[in-house]
Amino acid sequence: MSKKKFNTIYIVIVTIPFLLLIFPLFELANRATPIIMGLPFSFFYIILVILITFLGVLILYRFDPDHKLEEGDE
Amino acid sequence: MEHWLIALIIMIGYLVIALVVGVWAGKGQDSNSLDEFAVAGGKLGLIVMWFLMGGAVFSAFSFLGAPGWAYEKGAPAYYIIIYTAFAILPWYIIGPKISKIGKKFNLYTLSSFFRIRYRSKTLGIIVGLLALLASIQYLATQLTGMAHIFNIMTEGRIPFWLGALLAYGIVVVYVATGGLRAAAWSDVFQGLLMIIISWVIGIAIVNQLHDSMGVMFTNIAAESPGFLQIGKEGSTMGTIPFTTTILVSVIGFLMWPHLFTKSYASGPKVIKKTVLVYPIFALFLVPLLLVGFAAKGIVDANLIESADQVLPFLITTVMNLPGWVYGLVGAGALAAAMSSADAITHNATLETTDGVIRTIFKDLSDKTVLKIMRIGVFVIGGLAYIITIFGGQGLIVLLLGAYGAIVQFAPGVYSALYWRGATAKGVICGLVVGAILNFYFQLVADSTPLGIHAGIIGLIVNVVIMIVVSLLTKSERSEEEDIYIRS
Repeated sequence: MSKKKFNTIYIVIVTIPFLLLIFPLFELANRATPIIMGLPFSFFYIILVILITFLGVLILYRFDPDHKLEEGDE
Repeated sequence: MEHWLIALIIMIGYLVIALVVGVWAGKGQDSNSLDEFAVAGGKLGLIVMWFLMGGAVFSAFSFLGAPGWAYEKGAPAYYIIIYTAFAILPWYIIGPKISKIGKKFNLYTLSSFFRIRYRSKTLGIIVGLLALLASIQYLATQLTGMAHIFNIMTEGRIPFWLGALLAYGIVVVYVATGGLRAAAWSDVFQGLLMIIISWVIGIAIVNQLHDSMGVMFTNIAAESPGFLQIGKEGSTMGTIPFTTTILVSVIGFLMWPHLFTKSYASGPKVIKKTVLVYPIFALFLVPLLLVGFAAKGIVDANLIESADQVLPFLITTVMNLPGWVYGLVGAGALAAAMSSADAITHNATLETTDGVIRTIFKDLSDKTVLKIMRIGVFVIGGLAYIITIFGGQGLIVLLLGAYGAIVQFAPGVYSALYWRGATAKGVICGLVVGAILNFYFQLVADSTPLGIHAGIIGLIVNVVIMIVVSLLTKSERSEEEDIYIRS
């Protein structure tokens, strides 16, 4: 994968969940009930979206073209 | 022994350890190297980098302000978690780019990043001065937090001025001796401490006051449903202010000079990995919000001076906890405030010496600059202290506006990296007008149109002006421009 293509995919993958957490899309989850795992629905939803986002970024990192090239960079 | 005395002993003990860790970290490194002092030689590893970024974010606001927001406002407090998690993500793309540029031109500051790319001393100086104003404002918040903690945990026995002096004095000493490396290592210690303490305290408080989290939220949802929603009847914040507050924080986060220049302190790979493990930090804020929700309906709002005091108030007055818990919470909150204060003090010094003084007086040797920087830590530290403790109200208000000016750096930074057409005149005009609009809406006007955050209004106008003026003032292609875009 080229660097440019990777960057584009990265930006799309992190922007979509971000939009889910601000209005107008956040309206979907803007509710106090049901209480899930002890948390109000909206609170639970936010934590879930954050976890999924970072899981996505973690998987994406495996495909980063820079990932192998810069082994000696640390 | 009295509760407050045990608390005081633990907090003093914590301060001593923080000082030792900070001073020890700076030892053994080349103490005459400007590069080492400014960016730790560009060689910070993953764990240290992670705590440095996390520590800078986890401030007095997270420890005192976040529970305060949850207690006072309810659901809008979620914004803190959302922005902390997402604001780091652009760093994955721009961090490595800035790191390469920094190494190429030997940069230490945001101000020099602007000066080199746009070949404009004026722009460098404007950025340096705005950064200084905003930093002092941020420092004032941390200092107030430190002073409150000492005051409340010792039941009023340590006066406001002394608490801030004790905690911040230590920060100034280890930053002046060890530079960035000292700040980074003390952040590792402080970060671990505040993470552990926030979880233990958060869970303990919820369970003791409400049996369980589920019971607590079910009760709140039944009694005041609007409290757990945004923009509905009975809620404390509308949808537009909520969204634009998140936006301004997400865009502005990496523009904070003390976070921006961390890109120079490490290689691309460490930067990317820091982003990957970062959300753990955002989730550490969850228990602190829970504390705020737990206080809802239990703490009478008339009994505390401001919502920020709700966590210490719960510990000292509502719950009958032993003195060592006072001390631990005090130490955790001090750690949060100090780990932000060290990074900001360090950076404010860099921005003024490297960004402003060095731009005006060109012929200074590295050794002289380093000496000025070490003295500068004390000068800026002293200034922040004096403004916090004795500062006139007017000055504080002015500085508050400076906070919103940080986000105005974003168009210039992103154009430097991606848009050849941007010119110095364009960036200066946009930045100045954006900052003025932000000051106007924060300090002069009573409200903003539709409740949009003042910083976002400034930003929109800033972008438009920057593009228009840049197109009108075409400049010749320069070598710096090429390197910035290609890095």
